Amino acid sequence: MLAQQLFNALSLGCVYALFALGFTLIFGVLGVVNLSQGAVFMVGAYAALTAIDQLHAPLWLAIAIAFAFSGLVGLLIDRLVLKPLRKRDAPHLIPMIATIGLGLAMNSLVQGLFGAENQRFPSEVLPQDSLQIAGVSVTVLELGIILVSFVLMTVLMLTLNRTQLGRALRAIAESPKAARLLGINVDGLFMLTSFVAAGLGGIAGVLIGLYSNALFPLMGQPMLHKGIAVIILGGMGDIRGAMLAGLFLGFAEVLSVAYIGSDMRDAVAFGLLFLVLLVRPKGLFGTVQERKV
Amino acid sequence: METNQVTDLPRFARISAIALAAAVSLASAQAAEPIRIGVAEALSGGAAQYGISIRNGFQMAADEINAGGGVNGRKIELVIEDEQGKKEEAINAFKKLIFQDKALLLFGPTLSNSAQAADPIAQGSKIVVFGTSNTADGITTIGDHVFRNSVTEADVLPVTLRTAAKVAKIRKVAVLYGNDDVFTKSGYDNFRKALDDQKMPVTTTETFAKGDVDFKAQLTKIKATSPDAIVLSALLAEGAPIMVQARQLGLNVPFIGGNGMNSVKVFDLAKGASDGLWVGSPWSIENRTAANNSFIIAYTKRYSSAPDQFAAQAYDAMHIATEALKKAKLSGDLAKDREAVQAALPGVKWTGATGPFSFRRVSDKSGKPAGYDANQVPIVSTTRGKNYEIEQ
Amino acid sequence: MIDFLDNFWSVYSNLVLSLGTNALLALSIYLTLSCGMLAMANAAFMGIGAYTSSILTMNYGWPFPLAIAAGMAAPTLVAFVIGRPTLRLSGVYLAMATLAFGEVVRLCILRAENLTGGALGLNGIPQLTTWWHVLLAVVAVLFLLARLRRSKIGRAFEAIKEDETAAGLMGIDVNGHKMLAFALGAAIAGLAGVLDAHLTFFIGPQEFGFDRGVEILTMTILGGINSLFGPVIGALIITLLPELLRSFKDYRAVANGLILVLIVLFLPKGLWNPAWMRKVTGLAKRAAPSA
Repeated sequence: MLAQQLFNALSLGCVYALFALGFTLIFGVLGVVNLSQGAVFMVGAYAALTAIDQLHAPLWLAIAIAFAFSGLVGLLIDRLVLKPLRKRDAPHLIPMIATIGLGLAMNSLVQGLFGAENQRFPSEVLPQDSLQIAGVSVTVLELGIILVSFVLMTVLMLTLNRTQLGRALRAIAESPKAARLLGINVDGLFMLTSFVAAGLGGIAGVLIGLYSNALFPLMGQPMLHKGIAVIILGGMGDIRGAMLAGLFLGFAEVLSVAYIGSDMRDAVAFGLLFLVLLVRPKGLFGTVQERKV
Repeated sequence: METNQVTDLPRFARISAIALAAAVSLASAQAAEPIRIGVAEALSGGAAQYGISIRNGFQMAADEINAGGGVNGRKIELVIEDEQGKKEEAINAFKKLIFQDKALLLFGPTLSNSAQAADPIAQGSKIVVFGTSNTADGITTIGDHVFRNSVTEADVLPVTLRTAAKVAKIRKVAVLYGNDDVFTKSGYDNFRKALDDQKMPVTTTETFAKGDVDFKAQLTKIKATSPDAIVLSALLAEGAPIMVQARQLGLNVPFIGGNGMNSVKVFDLAKGASDGLWVGSPWSIENRTAANNSFIIAYTKRYSSAPDQFAAQAYDAMHIATEALKKAKLSGDLAKDREAVQAALPGVKWTGATGPFSFRRVSDKSGKPAGYDANQVPIVSTTRGKNYEIEQ
Repeated sequence: MIDFLDNFWSVYSNLVLSLGTNALLALSIYLTLSCGMLAMANAAFMGIGAYTSSILTMNYGWPFPLAIAAGMAAPTLVAFVIGRPTLRLSGVYLAMATLAFGEVVRLCILRAENLTGGALGLNGIPQLTTWWHVLLAVVAVLFLLARLRRSKIGRAFEAIKEDETAAGLMGIDVNGHKMLAFALGAAIAGLAGVLDAHLTFFIGPQEFGFDRGVEILTMTILGGINSLFGPVIGALIITLLPELLRSFKDYRAVANGLILVLIVLFLPKGLWNPAWMRKVTGLAKRAAPSA
């Protein structure tokens, strides 16, 4: 059983990390806790579902469409809502509240358009059978999720650390004012980050929608709560931290179910969260400095 | 003889004719005045899928009744409010329907939580409140104006368990339930009591929370204890993925589910993994009675999807209420009429889509007689292929 | 006229009283915000107050005033306990920590089934709240906070909000003041919890979690934190919005969310902004020195 549980933990951890990547990217670069990320995640899933149902798109195309559509939504949110608030130099609670309103509006809009009931991706889209590898049941989708999250994390890390773009983003994360003075196109990079982060959320939506066989308008909310826990544990704004924290949370949850008791699962997760905040608020894996405004 | 006498008769006739005409028009104005029934259901928010089903059931039944002449010539008018699945909104909706819209009786609310908060208002205002989806405790015990036709899990689950154990030869079970939702938790409480009563050993008890997507940790643990079946108290949103993930892990034992799992959507949401699910409920889509068949056909035609248990119970409830309205003498005085409805309802017997139905009085905590529960025999079915097959 | 008022009250009494309890909640967060802290634990404190008082009135038959006192004391106690380590955090970290704390409280309520009814909640709470309870509470809290604002303590809060380090250097007991704001906020939230629970017959754990915390915060920020009336106005709007938007039916929450965004975008200091209002109504000249 242990081997199976370890694999369960790995795949669950990657699910959490996948969502957290986009979430933490926005906080790191834009300095905003974007609570509409749950809705953006859900919108991506529904966009893919529509693509598959109406356009008979293959899975890879549906995922690309989800990325583009969610990314667009994220971009619009940045241009129409976050940018005016930045101009006004609003205290950072205000954008957070605005994103709450946006998330609420998006959830209800989708409910009005698609209905409140659970839907699912057609089962032909992805093989559902599981393979047996060394006594452990493994599905294609789980392997896919693990692969995708590691690839994404690697790509993001490489971009941040090895490219000029990454340097510019890190400069903005430290201090947008200073970055502007250095001649960095801060505004343009904000747009890019919003697009990519939201797009990542959309991809996460598709993958997790496939994993759980359940699409519903409020599907982003539980992920959002877990996402908050992950970015706190991982250090807010830290990509590698988000990945590690996602895995950590996955392991903590699965192992507490397996060896302590499943109704202690959330207590363990939150207890850890609380402890981390008290003892090491920068997160277990955080290396990012708190932003100078 | 005199002109007076000659003209008196026609004059008398004229006056009486006018008086008669006035009386008739008054009576028909009374007869034409619609019967206002308040409906407060969750049409938005997390419980919307149930609330919308319920509203559809009510709507279809009301339209049917009106097409057939209404209640003693009067048409039913539904005043529908969205209580959003929130208890504060249920209270506000009830108050509006009672005091502003002056409804004759109320249907709803959708969730048991909302009922516990809003039904006391109806009881206090002496108006009948008729729930079709409230299954928790502490609702009909509020008072004698609270009715429901939703069969409680306390009545259904033991029957499901017993039938499944007998037919599928189940000797020990594992239990999996959602521990943060009223519906799934009270389902678990009822299951546990039934398991104790029937002396069925439990290999392990696991929990999950609403909104979870991954259940493999719990299922792996359950698999390691080798149960003959898994008792599952879940709503379909989690229940379907649970079934799929169980099969993926190689856990192929039957599932014994509560009310939440009784929906044809399980064939779609748990496609390929939906076999072997046992449910009990007062209504089954496979129950081929004439009344049920015509309900299913009409519903599917009108709403382009098969009905579920919620729609069926709402549909029947509207008919049950109509029977009471037909019997009650409605005078036009709102308070008196509401009491007349309350007096006429308990005695109604009706056979509809959910089969033969009557009310059963319950007592509150101190033993005093209170409201009315459903008196109905549950049907136990199991999934095979794309259908529920009824076992008994 | 009497009839109309009577009818109005029958239909809307719960709404009006909810306005009062929401106003209390908004004021409780305002208090912590005026000290520069964003503490999102007030929904949890509300829950602690609600459960404590309900258990006492339902199971032990305590008289209402005593239950109110207990319902205020319990969250205050908890605030003292978790305040010490938590208040060292700042900004977003404090917000997140208190949010997490809120979830912990919800989980505790779920687990302590025998006492709290667990997921099934507490049902059959006696309806003891009347309009004058709520009115008294709101007026008393407004009065208290107004006095506080003008006092030395209030000025200390302002100083801490502006610049914590400087305030400390000036000899203000920063930690003590922050704890005061936090604990007092908890007491007010607890009071709101008691009144609300005894209004709606039923409470459940899901009412005091993340969603509620976010709702309270929205009320306060919406109304603006420049004056005491801001949170009250915010509470008014958020409470009434579902009623006002009834005609939107299915798309009501869309309107709700969009309204929030629009207000945030175009009225960033919140709705109740005395300076802006003075400007608009042309009283700017007269008010110039004290603006």
